[in-house]
Amino acid sequence: MLRMVKRFNAENPDIQALMQRMDWATCYNKLFVAGMGGRAPELFVVHTRAIQRFARAGFLRENDDLMSGANGIDLADLDANVWKGVEYHGKHYGLPLDVHAMGMYYNRKLFREAGIVDAQGTPRPPTNREEFLDAAKRLTIPGSGGRPDQWGFVFTNWESNIYTIMRQFGGEFFTPDYQKCIVNNAENVAALQFCVDLIRRYKVAPPPENFDSWIGFRQGKVAMAFEGIYMLADLQKQSDLDFSGAPVPQMGDHIAVWADSHNLCMRSDLSGEKLAATWRFIKYLSDNSLDWAAGGQIPTRPSRRNSPRFQQMSVQSAFARQVPYVNYLPRLPFIFEFQTEFGLALEKALRGRATPADALQVAQDNINRIIARDREANEAAGRGISA
Amino acid sequence: MRLRRNQPSNQGMGLAGETMLALGAALFVLPIVLIAITAFKPDAEIVHFKSVLPQTATTGNFKEILGNPEEIPIFRWFLNSVLVSSAVALLVVTVSSMAAYAFARLDLAGKRWIFPLIIGTLMVPGQVLLVPAYLILNRLGWLDTPLALIIPAGGGAFGFFLLHQFFLGIPKDLEEAAELDGCSRWRIFWNVVLPLSRPALASLAIFTFVGSWNDFLGPLVFLDSVDKYTLPVGVALFQTSYYAEYGLTMAAAALCTLPVVVAFLFFQRFITQSVALTGLKD
Amino acid sequence: MTSRRNLSRYTGYFFALPYLILFTGFVLLPLFYGLTLSLFRWEMLSPLPAQFVGIANFQEAFHDNYFWQALGTTLRFVLLAMPPTIGLALLIAAGLRAAPTKRQSFYRAAYFLPTIMTISVAGILWRWFYNSEFGLFNAFLAPAGVKIPWITDVRWAMPSIVLMTLWWTIGGPMMALLAGLQNIPISYYEAASIDGAKPGTQFWRITLPLLRPVLLFVVVLNVIGSVQVFGQVYMITRGGPELSTRTLVQYIYETAFNNYRMGYAAALSWLLFVLIALFSFIQFRLMREQ
Repeated sequence: MLRMVKRFNAENPDIQALMQRMDWATCYNKLFVAGMGGRAPELFVVHTRAIQRFARAGFLRENDDLMSGANGIDLADLDANVWKGVEYHGKHYGLPLDVHAMGMYYNRKLFREAGIVDAQGTPRPPTNREEFLDAAKRLTIPGSGGRPDQWGFVFTNWESNIYTIMRQFGGEFFTPDYQKCIVNNAENVAALQFCVDLIRRYKVAPPPENFDSWIGFRQGKVAMAFEGIYMLADLQKQSDLDFSGAPVPQMGDHIAVWADSHNLCMRSDLSGEKLAATWRFIKYLSDNSLDWAAGGQIPTRPSRRNSPRFQQMSVQSAFARQVPYVNYLPRLPFIFEFQTEFGLALEKALRGRATPADALQVAQDNINRIIARDREANEAAGRGISA
Repeated sequence: MRLRRNQPSNQGMGLAGETMLALGAALFVLPIVLIAITAFKPDAEIVHFKSVLPQTATTGNFKEILGNPEEIPIFRWFLNSVLVSSAVALLVVTVSSMAAYAFARLDLAGKRWIFPLIIGTLMVPGQVLLVPAYLILNRLGWLDTPLALIIPAGGGAFGFFLLHQFFLGIPKDLEEAAELDGCSRWRIFWNVVLPLSRPALASLAIFTFVGSWNDFLGPLVFLDSVDKYTLPVGVALFQTSYYAEYGLTMAAAALCTLPVVVAFLFFQRFITQSVALTGLKD
Repeated sequence: MTSRRNLSRYTGYFFALPYLILFTGFVLLPLFYGLTLSLFRWEMLSPLPAQFVGIANFQEAFHDNYFWQALGTTLRFVLLAMPPTIGLALLIAAGLRAAPTKRQSFYRAAYFLPTIMTISVAGILWRWFYNSEFGLFNAFLAPAGVKIPWITDVRWAMPSIVLMTLWWTIGGPMMALLAGLQNIPISYYEAASIDGAKPGTQFWRITLPLLRPVLLFVVVLNVIGSVQVFGQVYMITRGGPELSTRTLVQYIYETAFNNYRMGYAAALSWLLFVLIALFSFIQFRLMREQ
């Protein structure tokens, strides 16, 4: 990204962009505090899952006028579902730069050793539930002391992993108007039960550590893991790991995968020269999003994805095949509280401390309480229901 | 009045005792040594952890951090930290010692209710103050300058409380003797009390320096520009949160900690017990 | 004599003024503002303006299961962490006091070194130690066939945090207690020995009483600090497993900076403050000189 920024600065002497890098939690906190003091930067990156909250607060400037203007971007060259993700009350509030979908990373060496290969001896990653279970079983090798030396699969990021499977089973989370949480339904329970079974019944995955389990894949002790494309750079550092990427197997009747996007957003009070300059920079980044892909991302401009250069990025293009059916997290202003409840339910179920149905019911009750609280606050301020 | 070193002449410790002490010390230091060693391993090797010592020692992690001054102006950050932390230590020791002396030894109207109020603020969680402090500093125009990190630290109650308790423990005879000799309050403070308090003052200076050095939330919220960051914040921020780059993290940790360790080892000479005089008749 | 007393009063203010100005401006003022917030419903990043709601935030807290859970977790931490920290710090300080001068500063530096570590670094380090599948501790225990769920089992998580806390925070109390011990004239002990007093008696009759102000300082600050524990828990378990280690300060932090509910967070902070004040007053009472 820094290289792109520097190139832009060099090519556009009348605009100087200064980049700041930081981790996500810090970034959002800083944005929020800076916003209060009127010191937010002109341009910042917001995940699709957080767009709703920022847009509702009037923090972001819409960009439909700029998109259709002289220096705009052809809407046909933007993934429709991703573009919809930044829509709020009919207007769009950010320009998606990429789609970081989750995909399956698999260890080619372990696959070859287990004989899960095609006619030419190339490892054959699973594409559906049966193949996945079969592969996982064959790739879990018992060791001394009753514990496997090698695991077929590991849960890394519970939230994205299981959200994907729930959506593949066709489970819904909210009523369409977002007034009621319905996460405890048959499909979600079945999906969660499937995940629990992987650990407890089929015993192809170890008890979860959440994100830290990723180390196991890097150590070459785990054959398959679902993670975002952004983990690619991390794996490339592991020089002794022979891995590749593939779309997540379809475990249910539906085809879906978790994703989020980085969106380039503008401060709401921008105007005049500042606005034009910021937009030029945004368009530049989008047009050059292939460079961004090289760092382990998937551009959301189909024209860029169809280029030979991108096609050669094997993991990225494999993951990119999933773009047409990516699913974002539910669009909520109180996204963090939702994630806390959802994560808690998943954890309880995975650790065997509650049945999937019970765990999801608790989450559902709590989330409905939060919805009521949010609605009450809006009504008390005389603004009516605001979704 | 015979002055002598306040050190037990017979080492009532024995070999067994000292071995235990040394063992404990080794255990405490071990994790830190581990960080330093791990910083020299390539990322791929760290994940496997086959051995304590690096199999292929590399300075790659350090090179990546140090060799990128545009994105990682690490020397700039280091200087910022030194400047800010030193200033904070100096400020705190100065104003706290004066105020603590006033409350411990002098008449002060309202002392009886001001004191608990000050101590009470020790109990206030820092997060409560963060947002209001930000708004105040914005008004003053101090945001994105070192002043935002230095000046507010002077109001902390920790140094005040520490020195107050310490001053209470000093026998009054010495001060009274000086007063009878006609010394002004300031001279008593400067020439009698402060020298006697060297261990406490040095301890406070070190605590404050280290606390300021490691402060994360303050610089994060009150500074905007990359070149104004302090070292721990700058180093932490250049990493992404999606993956744990152990090699870089350890190298960054080593770089952050080294200056403080060196400074501590250097300054702790001033807290030697040989400075504590008895000052009593034998 | 009258003039001297009058002079003394102004002298007092002269000494105290710089500190009091800084204190009022950067501690009292923000404090007052922050606590006033607790009477409002104010959600940042919301189009709604701040609304005065009186004690509604406090009422919500009393009915909030997560608040009570966080409170209980915090108390559990304090009870588990404080006694070993102070006891061990005193033990080490006593050991250092009796150690040969040549090596004393070396040992002292070793025990204090962990305290210098930044929280983020210390946290990442111990999280690696505690990983049950791929972590350092279990790697050493593996040959014995032992695998401890350090931070994935609700029974082990809190003790693991306490262990790390001991390592990380013992340096501070140790230094303060050592300074206090060094202040006790050695002649007292020598006189007592001559009178035939045993080391145990010497400890209770000489050391403890003379150490009282410093001990009070150390204990009070440690409890205050423990009640506000946040950093290391956040880094190592993030409040898990299953929110069993989520302390009050973490709950406040998430309410303010993740949920952006500033009014409610302020009310929770106010409750935390009351808790701390309660603890401190009890301690002051218990340890006050008769």
